[in-house]
Amino acid sequence: MRLGFRPTSFSLKYRDQRSSIGMCLTETLDEMVSTGTLSPELAYQVLVQFDKSMTEALETQVKSKVSVKGHLHTYRFCDNVWTFILQDAVFKSEDRLEQVKRVKIVACDSKLLTQ
Amino acid sequence: MANNVSAVYIHVLDDVISKVRDEFINYGVGEGVLNELQALWEVKMRQCGAISGNIERSALPKNAAPITPVHDLNVPYEGPAEEYETPTAEMLFPPTPLQTPIQTPLPGTNDPSMYNIPTGPSDYAPSPISDIRNSIDLKAGRPGSYMQPPSPWMSQRPLGVDVNVAYDEGREEPDRGSSHQHATQDFFMNSSGKRKRDDYASHINSGGYIPQQDGSGDVTIELSLTQLFHLQGVANEDYNTPGDHVELRAATPSVGTPKPSKNDAGEDDEPPLNEDDDDELDDLDQEEEETNTQHLVLALFDKVSRTKSRWKCTLKDGIMHLNNRDILFNKATGEFEF
Repeated sequence: MRLGFRPTSFSLKYRDQRSSIGMCLTETLDEMVSTGTLSPELAYQVLVQFDKSMTEALETQVKSKVSVKGHLHTYRFCDNVWTFILQDAVFKSEDRLEQVKRVKIVACDSKLLTQ
Repeated sequence: MANNVSAVYIHVLDDVISKVRDEFINYGVGEGVLNELQALWEVKMRQCGAISGNIERSALPKNAAPITPVHDLNVPYEGPAEEYETPTAEMLFPPTPLQTPIQTPLPGTNDPSMYNIPTGPSDYAPSPISDIRNSIDLKAGRPGSYMQPPSPWMSQRPLGVDVNVAYDEGREEPDRGSSHQHATQDFFMNSSGKRKRDDYASHINSGGYIPQQDGSGDVTIELSLTQLFHLQGVANEDYNTPGDHVELRAATPSVGTPKPSKNDAGEDDEPPLNEDDDDELDDLDQEEEETNTQHLVLALFDKVSRTKSRWKCTLKDGIMHLNNRDILFNKATGEFEF
């Protein structure tokens, strides 16, 4: 299934904040651009490709299912993006359980990406 | 499994590198730069723990073209390290400025010859990175950039106003030379310079880029958000009681939207937005969690619904960063109690 790719706020997401892989790429590109090794346009192309690759990988390579439970502290819906802040949340996946005191969930509308 | 996450990340990395290879060639940039990008990226991921240990790339089923020894993770980074020492010197003291001149379409001056002034950008640019962002923003024609949200303001280029003056003055001289009206030269320059500045200023306001501090902008944003919300309220299930959603206010939008200012003066006629209610709470939480990174989940949502104070959502294709670990999921269900 091929997604219609739109560089919306969705594409910011994976490069954003603390997605390790996205952050590492952004840092790498920033360094290379600031030293003149890489042109800004090309860096941007890399990021665009990263979004595509990341999306595709998540769709095809990852099969795990997770359940989340917690207290909803804040909810926000803006620009088709849901932001939840949970407190005392429990994340259960098939082989692991994670507990956090506070977590932010940012979710973009999946329908915006499918044709 | 951590290994699985590493494998996925490696796969993504390889996929990206192989897919941008053509772009690099089109831009006339050599494979060396591409390899450097790959190596740097990988090193960083290793350092922050996103990738663990030895991953066998050959085992991954995908279409990345197998190429250089950089792929072989079993080889410590000795060879590449040497190569980096030389390019480092070159990188630190580049013989020429950035290959592509910073293309800043200064409003009011559509003369394409402006772009060929190589020393211009370096005079006023606070940092090359912000310039790059601006040029990317302006070229790409969209507000988002690949860094954090402040870009809408950076693309505003407040410094550009002063630059306009400098450039205008610089440009006026050839005009002056060719102009027959010597008597009115200064007048001409000043007025046109001023005009251009005014035009630029009005351009700003009409463009609406600057987050206005006077309250009128706030109203606009609030209204549009409310409209957005009402539209969405119809579309989503169980989600059409606007009265409950006090939290959905203009104060703190998500990624990619300009932040409306918290102004003190203009709130007289409107119900108090309670903008600051959560700030203290957030700060408190931040302090506690400061030791490790903030836990974060980035995903897509299929459905978000609510019954009274019980929220349910289905998410998919997400990356979770919890307890300093990255976990990926294909599907997730959430049940929250508000």
